[in-house]
Amino acid sequence: MHVALLWLALILYAVGIALTFPSVIRRRPALTPTALGALGLGLLAHATVLAFETVEIHRLPVTDVRSALSFFSFLATLAFFLVYLRYRITALGLFMLPLVFVLTLISALHPGRPFANPAFRGGWLLTHIASIFLGYTAFFLTFVAAAMYLFQERELKSKKPRAFYYRLPSLEVCDELYSRSLIFGLPFLSLGILTGFVWASRMWKGPWELDPKILASLLTWLVYLVLFSTRLSGAWRGRRSAYLAIFGFITILVTFLGISLLSGQHGYIPQLGTLP
Amino acid sequence: MNLLLVGMNHRTAPVEVRERMNISEARLGAAVSDLVRREGILEGLIISTCNRIEVIASAPDQADGEPPLRQFLADYYQCDLNAYQSHFYWHRQQEAVRHLFRVASSLDSMLVGEPQILGQLKRAYAIAREAGALNGPLNEIVTQAFAVARKVRRETAIGTAAVSVSYAAVELAKKIFGDLAGKTIFVIGAGKMSELAAKHLLSSGASAIFVSNRTYDRAVELAAAFHGTAIRFEQLLDYVGKADIVISSTGAPHFVIEKPQVEKMLAARRNRPMFFVDIAVPRDIDPTVNELDNAFLYDIDDLEQVVDANKKQREREAVYAEEIVQQEVQKMMRRLASREVVPTIVALEERLNRIREGEVERHRSRLSSLTPEQREALDALTRGIVNKILHGPITELKSGAGHLEHRTLVQLIRKMFGVEE
Repeated sequence: MHVALLWLALILYAVGIALTFPSVIRRRPALTPTALGALGLGLLAHATVLAFETVEIHRLPVTDVRSALSFFSFLATLAFFLVYLRYRITALGLFMLPLVFVLTLISALHPGRPFANPAFRGGWLLTHIASIFLGYTAFFLTFVAAAMYLFQERELKSKKPRAFYYRLPSLEVCDELYSRSLIFGLPFLSLGILTGFVWASRMWKGPWELDPKILASLLTWLVYLVLFSTRLSGAWRGRRSAYLAIFGFITILVTFLGISLLSGQHGYIPQLGTLP
Repeated sequence: MNLLLVGMNHRTAPVEVRERMNISEARLGAAVSDLVRREGILEGLIISTCNRIEVIASAPDQADGEPPLRQFLADYYQCDLNAYQSHFYWHRQQEAVRHLFRVASSLDSMLVGEPQILGQLKRAYAIAREAGALNGPLNEIVTQAFAVARKVRRETAIGTAAVSVSYAAVELAKKIFGDLAGKTIFVIGAGKMSELAAKHLLSSGASAIFVSNRTYDRAVELAAAFHGTAIRFEQLLDYVGKADIVISSTGAPHFVIEKPQVEKMLAARRNRPMFFVDIAVPRDIDPTVNELDNAFLYDIDDLEQVVDANKKQREREAVYAEEIVQQEVQKMMRRLASREVVPTIVALEERLNRIREGEVERHRSRLSSLTPEQREALDALTRGIVNKILHGPITELKSGAGHLEHRTLVQLIRKMFGVEE
């Protein structure tokens, strides 16, 4: 049931993406409503999967890599949708949706049932996971906005308008999207890290502060703090900020995926209380 | 109906010839009335702009509209048409519809995608309607041309990119600042082009304007025209940093604004972006300013380059627009053809039933001995024969609708069964 619904969501996403591409690349705005319709239905199917899983295991279905990817791709599509409603940037889909598709595909190809990991219960951990994921989603948006900014800026500096010039939003809009997602994401990341610390100090024995994933998230947090303060003060803006936003997202990827392989507690292994 | 279009445009005729053929808007109503009054012309429309003249007319099925149309042109222009023969193009039926759709969608324009022609076409349409020259299928074709033009505009990006230097400056400003509302402009040096660019920027939403000129009085004058503020040339650099968009066109032999100065301005503005448009030759702004993060500098050649790229962009979009026009022409032709089919079918049925009834009537006296049941059977029999005969031609008429040869088929069937027009 879950798996079938997830595949349905995946197919709907695929249709949405397949229509978004010509709507942006060949500039056929007439295709956009259908693309959005397909994506919306995909979101609905995806939300149903997540709701079923939540009810079934009595916790947020983010207990292993598979379910985490599924959850993240859901949030990212939702973010695309919400941003579209406000800014009408179809080009955003070009950058965000292929990743959504790949992540959902991975998730659908490994249909392991989310297990009722006893470690993943409790308010602190729920807050931790939810905040971290909201933060990551916001920063994914920051990353995409920064990339769009860099593409558009390069076109404008080169003075030879090419494909991106006609298809990407203005620098101002990229910058606004980038700043707003940053402002939205940072409190969630901070809250997520903080609740993580509280939870870890209660539940884990041993030197949890040295867990590679925890160190990596601290680095991530630091990067975004610098980004946030320099952008808000106006000290950095434009290209330099955009580069830092891209670096920041790379640290997220390293934290989220890379370190999971090294870290004991964050390796999504259902064991509790021991560190290697 | 026979559709006929004769015209000339900027490609087929030089300006001297187009001038000669131009019909002013004031005289258009009389001209189109004259056209449709002629024997063999049902409806008419005349479009006359500085780049083209198009005369479209419809004639009845059997008639050829060309002789009266030629006569109209010869009478109207009081000239020997043969002298201009090479400049005119003639389109018939489907080709005439296609030409009209392409003109309306601005695919035949000098600047492809510019929307003016649609407005001109709409005025010509209103005039022809008022003159009572459009009241049948041609009317439908013209209104459909408007719909096609809207569709092309909606579904392609043909009209989106700026194709003049001053609009290119506005477009670039929008690519940098998004919405221009609340943005400030600084015009350095009064000149036609900078005034034009400033005007476009203001009408696109920019809110405040500073003007500076070496002769202060001229600056005051220009500032008054734009409801802006005049700045003394010596104080220029104190104010440039307050503006988001700077348009410069002084006659200065050296740079008026240099890189370190812009660097300072950007720091003072907390790196909010600045857009410099340097229209002056020799240039007013150090070209290395463009190397600064958040500063964008375009000189006149750069703007031309953007315009060229935009034109190419429009041409690419035009390819897709042509596809849309092609589909719409097919649809229109199908609709026109099916319009002719229905009356033919009705006429055919009426004709054969009249024959049947007439024959039954003629033999009435010999059939008087029939019982009511037998009479009913006879009725059913004759009706059955008529329907069997009709079945073939009606199916043929219905299935053929839309094909090019279909009109001849309709006419053939009408002739065979003796159905009047």
